[in-house]
Amino acid sequence: MVIDWLPSVLIVVLLALGVIGALRRVSLWRAGQPEKVNLIAGLLAMPGRYLKDLHHVVERDKYMSRTHVATGGGFVLSMVLVLVVHVFDVNEQIVAWALLGALLIMLTGAFFVFKRRLNPPARLSKGPWMRLPKTLMIYALTFIVLTLPAAGILPEGAGGVVLTAVLSVGVVIGLGELLFGMGWGGPMKHAFAGALHLAFHRRPERFGGGRSTGLKPVNLEGDVLGVAKPSDFKWNQLLGFDACVQCGKCQAMCPAFAAGQPLNPKKLIQDMVVGLAGGTDANYAGSPYPGKEVGNAKGGPDEIITAGLVSQETLWSCTTCRACVEECPMMIEHVDAIVDMRRFLTMEKGETPNKGSEVLENIIATDNPNGYAPSSRTNWAADQNLAVMKEKQEADVLFWVSDGAFDMRSQRILRAFVKLMKHANVDVAILGDEERDSGDVARRLGDDATFQSLAKRNLATLGQYKFKKIVTTDPHAYHCLRNEYGDFDTDGALAGVEVLHHTTFLNQLVQSGALKLDAFKGGKVTYHDPCYLGRYNGEYEAPRELLRSLGIEVAEMERSGFRSRCCGGGGGAPITDIPGERRIADMRMEDASETGAELVAVGCQQCTAMLEGVVEPRPEVKDISEILVDQLVEEVH
Amino acid sequence: MSQFDVLFQPLNINKLTIRNRIVSTAHAEVYATDGGMTTDRYVKYYEEKAKGGCGLCICGGSSVVSIDSPQSWWSSVNLSTDRIIPHFQNLADAVHKHGGKIMIQISHMGRRSRWDGENWPNLMSPSGIREPVHRATCKTIEVEEIWRVIGDFVQAARRAKEGGLDGVELSAVHQHMIDQFWSPRVNKRTDEWGGTFEGRMKFGLEVAKAVREEVGPDFVVGMRITGDEFHPDGLNHDDMKQIAKYYDETGLIDYFGVVGSGCDTHNTLANVIPNMSYPPEPFLHLAAGIKEVVSVPVIHAQNIKDPNQAKRIVEAGYVDFVGMTRAHIADPHLIAKIKNDQVDQIRQCVGANYCIDRQYQGLDVLCIQNAATSREYMGLPHIIEKTEGPIRSVVVVGGGPGGMEAARVAAERGHKVTLLERNEELGGQITIAAKAPQRDQIAGITRWLVMELDRLGVEVRTGVTADAQMIRDLKPDVCVMATGGRPYMDQNPAWGAEEGLVVSSWDILNGKVEPGKNVLIYDTICEFSGLSAADYLSSKGSLVEIVTDDIKPGVGIGGTTFPTYYRSLYEKEVVMTSDFLLEKVYREGDNLVAVLENEYTGQHEERVVDQVVIENGIRPNEELYYELKEESRNKGQLDVEAMFDIKPQPILSESGDGMILWRLGDCVSQRNTHAAMYDALRLCKDL
Repeated sequence: MVIDWLPSVLIVVLLALGVIGALRRVSLWRAGQPEKVNLIAGLLAMPGRYLKDLHHVVERDKYMSRTHVATGGGFVLSMVLVLVVHVFDVNEQIVAWALLGALLIMLTGAFFVFKRRLNPPARLSKGPWMRLPKTLMIYALTFIVLTLPAAGILPEGAGGVVLTAVLSVGVVIGLGELLFGMGWGGPMKHAFAGALHLAFHRRPERFGGGRSTGLKPVNLEGDVLGVAKPSDFKWNQLLGFDACVQCGKCQAMCPAFAAGQPLNPKKLIQDMVVGLAGGTDANYAGSPYPGKEVGNAKGGPDEIITAGLVSQETLWSCTTCRACVEECPMMIEHVDAIVDMRRFLTMEKGETPNKGSEVLENIIATDNPNGYAPSSRTNWAADQNLAVMKEKQEADVLFWVSDGAFDMRSQRILRAFVKLMKHANVDVAILGDEERDSGDVARRLGDDATFQSLAKRNLATLGQYKFKKIVTTDPHAYHCLRNEYGDFDTDGALAGVEVLHHTTFLNQLVQSGALKLDAFKGGKVTYHDPCYLGRYNGEYEAPRELLRSLGIEVAEMERSGFRSRCCGGGGGAPITDIPGERRIADMRMEDASETGAELVAVGCQQCTAMLEGVVEPRPEVKDISEILVDQLVEEVH
Repeated sequence: MSQFDVLFQPLNINKLTIRNRIVSTAHAEVYATDGGMTTDRYVKYYEEKAKGGCGLCICGGSSVVSIDSPQSWWSSVNLSTDRIIPHFQNLADAVHKHGGKIMIQISHMGRRSRWDGENWPNLMSPSGIREPVHRATCKTIEVEEIWRVIGDFVQAARRAKEGGLDGVELSAVHQHMIDQFWSPRVNKRTDEWGGTFEGRMKFGLEVAKAVREEVGPDFVVGMRITGDEFHPDGLNHDDMKQIAKYYDETGLIDYFGVVGSGCDTHNTLANVIPNMSYPPEPFLHLAAGIKEVVSVPVIHAQNIKDPNQAKRIVEAGYVDFVGMTRAHIADPHLIAKIKNDQVDQIRQCVGANYCIDRQYQGLDVLCIQNAATSREYMGLPHIIEKTEGPIRSVVVVGGGPGGMEAARVAAERGHKVTLLERNEELGGQITIAAKAPQRDQIAGITRWLVMELDRLGVEVRTGVTADAQMIRDLKPDVCVMATGGRPYMDQNPAWGAEEGLVVSSWDILNGKVEPGKNVLIYDTICEFSGLSAADYLSSKGSLVEIVTDDIKPGVGIGGTTFPTYYRSLYEKEVVMTSDFLLEKVYREGDNLVAVLENEYTGQHEERVVDQVVIENGIRPNEELYYELKEESRNKGQLDVEAMFDIKPQPILSESGDGMILWRLGDCVSQRNTHAAMYDALRLCKDL
C-alpha cells in the first residue's frame, strides 16, 4: 500500500518536533539563574517522587488520581510500545497485545477525564484543557486500530488507504497533542516539565514525607536583590512554573482569592509562564485575579514583571499561608515566587505598600514592627518573676517571647503560658530586652536584609547561653527559629537545640503528668490551625491532643488541618492591606461559626488578633494556653 | 498595642519593681481586729486588688507604731508588737502570689486620735494643742517620749520587713506626729524639736534615719506628705516643697506620696478624699510641684478614677504613680479590665464616699455600689461565674440599684432575665439624687449597671407598670421584687399632704414642682436628700430654711461630704435650723404657715412661706408583693440564715411548681443603695 509507512513517519516526525520543542523549552528555563542541582540523582529519584509524593497529593481526589494513573500510565507505557511496534516494527504479537492493553487503560482514563470535563468545577482552566481528553481518546483509539493488525485481530492492510489516511489524521491529532504539544507549550507540557520539576525540584527535602518551608536567603551581594524579571528566578523555579496543570486547586484554597483580593495563585503561575516564554495572557482560560480583566498582561523573560505582567497588588495580597503550595499536585512553590518578587519591590524599589515601609523602618530602628521602645520589651513580665538569661546563663527552656510582648492581648497568652510553665516547674528563662523581633514580618515583606540582620543578631545573643529547648507561643517566630535561622547559624548557636511551639511543649507536660487539668466545662470548641504551625511545621496533633486532654471533642471546621484557612494575618498582609471584597478573618470566623462552636481555640497571637477583630456576635477566641490555664488544678494555699 | 501602655511601664521604687503605675494608696480599712492584727478579710481584700493587677498596694492607713497611739477606734493595724509579723507574712504571700507588691503605712498619730478608750492614753503632740476634728486634747510630748516613739517607728519597720512586706510608708500627712512637728500651726516649741526649720524637721528626720538604719538600704521607705495644708498659719505649698527637698536630699526616702490639703478641720478633711463635688484630680498641681524638687518617684491619689485620666497624668509626667484607691474599692479588677480591653466594663467610683465616711465613723470600709468589696472572705465574688445548674427565667420588678444589680447578677449567672421599670429610665432613686447640684456623678452607678445589663442581654422594659397578671404571664422561676418606695408625707396628717399643702423632696428634685420663692424644708432624715433639696432650691434662687427635729441638718452625712454641702448652703444663705418639729401646715391667703415646735421646750414658732417641702423618708411600695406573695412557692420569705451566711437559698435546690418570690431594697424597708445592692448580690449570686 502506498501510504502504509505514513503513520510511522508521522510518529517519528512528531516525536522529533516534540524533542525540538522540548529543547527550546529547556533553553527558556536556562534563561533563569543558576541553582545547583544534582541532575543524575534527581532523575533517578524522579519516578519514586512521582509515584509517592506527587501521587500522595493527587490521591486526595480519588477520582482524579485513578483517571490520572490510567491516562498517564497508559500513555507512558503505550508510547514506549508504539515506538517498539510502529517505529521499530517489532513483530511480536504479545507486544502488540500489551500495547492494546495500555491503550485501553488510557482510553478508559481519558474517558473519565472527558466525563469530568463535561461539567468542570470552576477552578479548572478551560481553553485547550477542554480539548485534552478528546485528543487523548483520539490518540488511544487511533493506535488501538493501528495496532489491531499487529495483534493479529485484523489482517494487515485492512481498511485500505482510506483507513490509513484517517488513522494518519488521528496520529497527527493524538501525537500532535501528546508529543508536539508537550514540547511546544500545549497542555501536555505538564508531563514533561512536571517530571523534570520533580527531578530538579528546588526543595528536594519535600520528597519522602519531608517538609521544607523556610524561605531561601537572598544573596545580599548579588546584582539584583529579589526577582525583577522572569529571568531572575532560578532556572528550576521557571521549570516549576511550566509544570502547572491549571487544576486550580491552589485557587480553591487561596484565602485572598476567596476574599476577592486581586490574587489567584494559578493565574500568577500562568503569568510566570507567559513571562518566561514571552507573550500575553490572552490565551489564559481560567479564573482571573478578582477584579482584574484577563488579556492585558504581557511580559518576557527580561521584562520587569510588575511593569505589565503582574500588578504589585497581586503580590502583596498573599498571606504566605502556603495553602496553595500544600494543595499543588505539581509541587510548585508559589510562596517562594511571590516573596522573591516582593524582595525586589521592597529592597530595590522601596515600594512596600501602605504601612509596609513604616513597619520596616520600625523594625530597623527598634527591632520590633510597631516601633515600641526596645527597653519596654519586658514590661509585660514585670510581675512574672521570670529568670533572664543574661543573669541565669543557663536553663532547660528558653522562652522566646516574641513581639506579643508589646501587645496587651498577646500578653494574656504569654502570662497564661508562664503560669503553666511555673506550675510544671519548668526551668525557664527569657532573653528579656536582648530578644529582638524574629524577622518574620521583614522577611515576608521582602526585606531579607533586615531579616538576615535580625537573625544574625538573635543568633549571636542565643549563642551566649546554654539551653536545651526554645519554646515560643508565636508560630511565626517558631518557623523562623526552626526553619530559617539555620542558614545563618554559622556558630552553631542552635546546634542540638530543639525548637518547639508551646502547644507541643505543653502537650508533653500534660502527657507526662506535670500539669494537672480539670475537664473543660464550656460549650462547643473548634480549633483553628495557624498556618505557620500547621502547614509550615506540620504540627496538627499536639493542640488537638491538648484539647482532648481537657475532655474537649474538637468540632472540626471543614477547612482544618493541612487544609486550614488562613486568618488573614500572615505574610504582612494586614500591613500591606490590599483591599478585597471581604476580610479573610471574617470568612474564617464564618467557618468557625458553622461548626456551632462557642469558642475558637487558637495557637497563635496573630490569629487571635485577626479573629478577635471580627465583629460580634461571634464565638470567643482563646489561645490554647489560656484555655488550659483556666482548667489548671491549683494547689490550695 | 494599647492606648494605656504608659500605665504599664514598670518603674522601680528603690530596687522594688512595680509592674505598673497604678497604686492603691494607704487608707484605713477598719478590718484589723484582735488588737490590730490583720484578718482573713484584710488579706483577701488586698489579694483581690493584686489579682486584679494593681501594681502596688499600700495598706494600713495610719497603722500605729506605739501603744499610746490608739488603733481600736478604726481597727487599724497595730505594729507595736511582734504578734503582727506572721499576719504580715500571710498578707505578703497573698499579694506577691499575683505579682503585686505591698507596703504598709506606719505612723504615730499624735493628737489626731481619741484618748477616751483602749488604754486611755494621754495623747501627745509637739505643743499640746487640741485637735478639733476628734475633739482631742493632748499633752506636750517630752524629749524622752520623742526618742521612745522614734524607737517604736524602728521596731514597726522591722516587723514590716520581717513580715515580708515590701516597704513602709512614714505618714507625715493628715496631721500625724511627724507633720505635727513640721507645722508651725501646731509646733510652738522652742527647743531643738521646733522653732527653726531644721528644728521642726528634726523629728521626722530622726525617724527616717533610725528606720533606714534598721531596714538597710534596699528596703523601701517612703513618706506621705501634704502638698499644702490650706491653713494660713500652716504649711503652704512652698513650705512643702522646701520640706520635700530637704528630706529628698538626705537620700533616706525612696518615694513621696503627696496629698493635697491638711485635714485637722472638718472643712480641710473633706479635701483629702474629694467627693463627687470636686473636679477630677483637684490637687494634682501640688503633687507635680513636689515632683519638681525631688529625685525619687512621686505618687498622687485624690479623685483619679478613670484609666484615661490616669494615663493622661502619667503620660504628661506630673507624677510617676497614680493612686486609684477608691477606684479599686469600686472595682478591684480595673487594671485587668484595662488589660483585657474591657474599659467599658470597669465599675467606676462615683465619689459617693460611702467608704471613707463609714471609716470616719469607725465602721468597716464598704463600697456603695460594689457589695463584694471587702467581703471576698465571705465568698462574695467580683467575677460572677456562670451557673452549672438549671437556666431559670428571672423577672425583676423595679429598675433601681437593687433591681438592676439583681438583674445583672442573675444575667451573669446565665439566666434569662427580664427587668420591668415603671419610669422611662432606669436608676430609681439614684436618678432623683443625681438631680441635685454637685451630685450628678452618683448617676454613674446607674450608668455602669445599664451598660452591663445591655452587655449581658437582659431584656429591659421601661415605662411598664408591672401588675400581678403581667408577672404571672411571664411565668418566672424567680421573681425579684425591688419596687422601692414613695415619699412618706402623710405620717402627720396635719402637714396637709392630702390637701396638697406640702410637696416632696422628690418632686422638687425631679423638677415636677416649680421651686417656691420662700421655702421651708422639713427634713427628718438628715442625710443627702434634705440637703440636696435645699441645695437645689437655693441654686434656683429660692430663699430656703431647712428645719429638722434632729441635731443638725445633714448630721447623718459622713465627714467628707457634709462640708461640701455646707460650703454651698452657707454661701447661698440657707438657714439651718435644728431641734424643731413640724407640727402643722396651713394656708393663709397666698401663703403657707408652717408651725414649728421646739423639741426641748415645746415652744412654738411660725414661718410664713410659699412652699413647704417634706423629706420624711419613704414608705415601701409593697402592694404588688402582697398580691403575689400567697401564690409564690416560698410565700415571699427568705431564709435569712442562708442569706447572712452568703449561702444559696435552700429553695433553689428544691423542686416545686410556681415562682420563687424575693423582695429586696426599699420595698421592704428604707435603707440605702449599698443595702439594696448587697441583698441583690448575695441572693442572686447562687441563682
